[in-house]
Amino acid sequence: MSRRLDERRSAHQRYKQDVDERGKPFYPFAMFHDTVMSLVVVSVITALAVIWKVTANEEPDSSGWLGVLYGEEADSGTTNFIPRPDWYFYFLFYLLRIFKWPESVILGTIGIPTILLILLFALPFIDLRRERRLLRRPVAIVAAILVVLSMGVLTYKGATARESLGTEALAAVPEWIEKNNLPANARKGAELFAESSCLACHIYVGQGASNLGAPELTDVGSQNRGVDYFAEYVANPAQYGNTRMPPFAGLGEENLRNIAIFLDASKGEE
Amino acid sequence: MAAARKSARRAQVERLITYPIDWIEERSGLFGGLKYFLFRKVPGDTGWFHTLGSATLTAFIVQAVTGVILAMYYKPDPDKAYESIRFITDDLTLGWLVRGMHRWGASVFIILMFFHMARVFLFGAYKYPRELNWILGVLLLVLGMLEGFTGYLLPWDQTSYWATVVGINLNGTAPFLGPFLVNLLQGGAEIGSETLTRFYALHMLVLPGAIAGLIGLHLYLVIRLGVSSPPWSPDAAGADRAEPDRPTVRKGLTQPGRRGGYAR
Repeated sequence: MSRRLDERRSAHQRYKQDVDERGKPFYPFAMFHDTVMSLVVVSVITALAVIWKVTANEEPDSSGWLGVLYGEEADSGTTNFIPRPDWYFYFLFYLLRIFKWPESVILGTIGIPTILLILLFALPFIDLRRERRLLRRPVAIVAAILVVLSMGVLTYKGATARESLGTEALAAVPEWIEKNNLPANARKGAELFAESSCLACHIYVGQGASNLGAPELTDVGSQNRGVDYFAEYVANPAQYGNTRMPPFAGLGEENLRNIAIFLDASKGEE
Repeated sequence: MAAARKSARRAQVERLITYPIDWIEERSGLFGGLKYFLFRKVPGDTGWFHTLGSATLTAFIVQAVTGVILAMYYKPDPDKAYESIRFITDDLTLGWLVRGMHRWGASVFIILMFFHMARVFLFGAYKYPRELNWILGVLLLVLGMLEGFTGYLLPWDQTSYWATVVGINLNGTAPFLGPFLVNLLQGGAEIGSETLTRFYALHMLVLPGAIAGLIGLHLYLVIRLGVSSPPWSPDAAGADRAEPDRPTVRKGLTQPGRRGGYAR
C-alpha cells in the first residue's frame, strides 16, 4: 500500500519536473484555446436564444424549433397538465416509469440515483491504479459506454414518451363505458377523470402512462372500498401514506364525488 | 536638452501608472498572483480537450450576468411571476435575448459540465493527487442540476408548475428525510407563494453562491496541481522514464530499477 503511494508521489514529482522543463506558459498558448472556446460557447448560447425567439414567432400556432416562449399560466385548479421536467432530467423521469408501484418505486426515485451518485463521488477511491491509457482500463471503458448508452436511451425514451392529452382521453370514454360495463352515473366521473390528466400517470383500459409507479386503475373498484374512500383518497393521497400523487382537493367536492363513483364502479374488463 | 526633458516626463508618466499597481501589489500580492496564473507552465501537449472546463465557466458567467438582469424585472409572486416573464419576453428591449440566453445557457452549462466530466474521466485525470478536485466537480454537477430544478418553476406556467409538483413529491419518497425535504422546498401545505420565493432564493442566492465558491476552490486546485497530459501523448508529462517504446532518455531522470510499461 505504501509502495503504491510512493509510486504515485514520485510520478507527480516527475510530472512537475516535466512541466517545468518542457511545458509551455499558460498565456498565450492554452489561453488562446480557452478564449476561442469561450467565444464559441457564447455564440452558441446567443444563437439558441435567437433561433428560439425567431422560430417561435414565425407561426403563431406552431411551437417553433425549440418550443414555445411561454406556456399557459400555472393554475393549481385546472389539472389538465403534462408534468414534464427540462430535458436533462428526462433520464430520471423515464427511470421512474420502469418501476411499478409500490414495492420497487423507491428504487427509481431514490435508490438508483443515490447509488450512482455515491459511485460517482467515490470514483477516485475505487480506481486506485496509476494507469491512464484507455486501452489498459477495460473496466473504465465498459462502465463509460454503459453509462452513456443507458443515459442516452433513457433521455431519448423520456423525450419521445407520449402523454395522453385530455381531449384524446375524452374520446375514449364511450369505449371505457362499454368495456368496463360502467353504469350511467359513472359517465360524468369518467369524463372528469379523462380531462384531469389522471392518465398522465395512470393507465385505464390500455390508455395513459404508468408514471412514477402509479397503479393501473381499470379494476381499482373491484375491492369495493366505497365511494367515500376514493373521494377522500383523491382529495388528499398523503393521508393514505401516498406522497407521490399530488392532492386534487382543488377539483371541488362535487367533482371528486363523481370521480369516486367512476373509480368505485371500475371493476375491470369482463 | 529637449530630449532629456521628454524622457524625464516619460519617466514621470511611467511612475504615475506603475505607482497604483505597485501600491496594490505591495499590500495584496494580487498582481504577483495574476502573473503566476498567466505565466505558469502547463504540459506542452494540452489542447482543445482542456478547454471544456473554462467553457463551462464561461457558460456559468453567462448565466450569472443574464440572471442578474432577469432578477431586475422578475417578480417572485404567483400573481405577478407569469406576467413579469411575459413582460421580459415581449415588451422589454432585448428582454427576449436575455431570457433566451438564460434559458438555453442552462442547457449548454449542463451539457458542458457532462462533457468536462467525461474528458476528466477518459483522461484518468481524477487520479492522485486530483481526487479532491473530482469530488468538487461532482458537487458542482449536483448543484448545477439543482439550479435547473429550481429555475424551472420560476416562469410559473403549467408545465413548470406541475413538473415541480411531481419533483417535490419525488423528494417526499426519500426514507426519513422525505417529509423534511418536502417541507423545506414547499414551505406550506401546497405549492404557492412560499414555494416560489423559496425556489427564487435558492436559485439566485444560495446555489449560485455555493457554485461560485466551489468554482474558486476547483480552479485553485487546478492551478496548484496542474492539468494532466492526454494519456495517449508520446510526450506526456510525468510519464515513466526509460520505457522500451520510448527510448528518449532525458539526462538525470532515468530510473533503471523501474519496470517499463507500467503507467504514465
